[in-house]
Amino acid sequence: MERNAQHAFDAEEVMAYLDGELEARRAAALAAHLVSCSECQEVVQGFCALSERMLSFEVERPSAGMYDTVLAALDSGKSSSVSTPHDVVDRKGWKWREFVFHRRAWAIVGAVIVVAMLVIGIPHEFKTRPDLSVDRSVVSLEKAVPAARGRLPLFQQSDEYNSSLNKNGNAATRSGTNVYQSAAEDDENGTAAPPPPPLPAGEELKAPENVGPMIVQTASLNILATNYDEASAAIEKLAAAHGGYVEKLDAKAQTGNARELSASLRIPTKQLDGFLADVRKLGHVEEENRSNEEVSNQYVDLQARLKSARATEQRLIELLATRTGKLQDVLEAERELARIRGEIESMQGQSALLVHRVNYATVQVDLNEEYRQVLGSGPVSTRTRVRNSLVEGFANLEEGAVALVVFVFAYGPSLLFWLAILLVPGWLAWRRFVVRARG
Amino acid sequence: MVRHFFMNSDDQLILEFQRGERDAFVELFERYREPIYGFFRRRLDYPARAEELTQECFLAVLQNVQRYEPRASFRSYLYGIAIHLVAAERRKAGREVAENEKLDSRAAEGNAAENSDAGIWVRNALGHLELSDREILMLREYEQLSYGEIAAVLRMPVNTVRSRLFRARAALKNQLMPVK
Repeated sequence: MERNAQHAFDAEEVMAYLDGELEARRAAALAAHLVSCSECQEVVQGFCALSERMLSFEVERPSAGMYDTVLAALDSGKSSSVSTPHDVVDRKGWKWREFVFHRRAWAIVGAVIVVAMLVIGIPHEFKTRPDLSVDRSVVSLEKAVPAARGRLPLFQQSDEYNSSLNKNGNAATRSGTNVYQSAAEDDENGTAAPPPPPLPAGEELKAPENVGPMIVQTASLNILATNYDEASAAIEKLAAAHGGYVEKLDAKAQTGNARELSASLRIPTKQLDGFLADVRKLGHVEEENRSNEEVSNQYVDLQARLKSARATEQRLIELLATRTGKLQDVLEAERELARIRGEIESMQGQSALLVHRVNYATVQVDLNEEYRQVLGSGPVSTRTRVRNSLVEGFANLEEGAVALVVFVFAYGPSLLFWLAILLVPGWLAWRRFVVRARG
Repeated sequence: MVRHFFMNSDDQLILEFQRGERDAFVELFERYREPIYGFFRRRLDYPARAEELTQECFLAVLQNVQRYEPRASFRSYLYGIAIHLVAAERRKAGREVAENEKLDSRAAEGNAAENSDAGIWVRNALGHLELSDREILMLREYEQLSYGEIAAVLRMPVNTVRSRLFRARAALKNQLMPVK
């Protein structure tokens, strides 16, 4: 419909006028214009002819059966599954409300999600992961304290030792019985376990002769005991049982803190291994150290000096016995003799101490109580309980939301990918099948 | 006693039916049975399917009468249901092009004497229009809906309805120009 560009009314307005959709004032103006404008009259005729032509597209009347069907439904209250314009429908025809309440749709979505999670999750579970756990077991002492080969009486890495290391704070059992119990009961019943063979008298002060190098052994253990009372009482008993003694003992029991006991023990060297094995059973060994110091050269040197000093002493004694020199010389000799004797006594003392240190190992035992502080909370008020539950509720909500977000971020892309791969071809195939079935 | 609702508007009738007046629905059904059937029949090939959808349309009104709200005219509401049914039917068919092809190529079943050559030409020409333009034109020419009712049914602005209607009429006229 070509129109003069300067025409007052365009063809669309004429169409709206014919449809009764033009604004009243504009319609009145157009009506007056049509009286005299042949061009607009042509437009009007064109629209009217078109409408008349369209009416030739006729259809037959419906059958009477439809009338009966609908009225029957009216009387029976038959429902229809057809949605109405009041339902939320977007322009593409998706019925969201119908979809939300459609059980089959949710069942399909749920099945797809489960399949996708299985496809994703199963290979992930079987994937080998690096072992990041920290091995807290105590290293075997053979490795931790390398022995002086051929020179040390090595303590034995017995099965008892291994089992005591592997348990966390629980007393190891010996032959199926509790070591605390057996020690306490044995004392009460007078049937104590056979004590270690006592050392011959004076042997502890006797210098080892021709028995190899002289080694001073020291050991320290840090033990965590669950039954602190029994463990602390057992330490002294074990020392005595092995022929040793407590050199120093400190105990702490501060309020609100775990109790501690620090003991310095002297244990005969020959009994050291057995003593350590028994002490390890008192709890979980958190730390153990051993060291050996060879003092052979020191002892030999000391003996040599002692021998020399004694020889000098003897000469001075012989010299003073004759008293043939001047008084000043005699006094000088007397002073020298006193000095030599002082040295001899000092060296004897050193030698004895050295021998004692060799014969008695020094063991430092630190015993700590496995202490769990009890919260001293009294009865909780209802208001506090309600508030705590509210806080806990929000915390759980937050955790749940975070977990959901983490899940969506972690698995969302994979899920979308698998949904696209699995669903789209299936949906297209289903549509094609339906189209073909309808023919 | 049968109540006569001839002087009542459609909106009044649906509200009467909402209050439980059975005959109000019967009146509405009588008024719109053929127009709704014609609506479906002009868009679908099979008369039987058109009847089924006509029934579905009125059954939907029955089911949802208690939820009905007079936001627009009852006609808009009823044709809105019909539009949804047609859209669903087309989705089931799978392709809108196939619908156009059927509109062009296949002769209407039923009483052949009622379909003249001119009717076939018109149907064929309508098939060449875009779907949305065709719907607007047919709702205006056959269902006699106003611009506002068409806008409510198709969920588009009134000005868009007007411009597209003009475009559709111009396109249809170009299609039908060789035939007098």
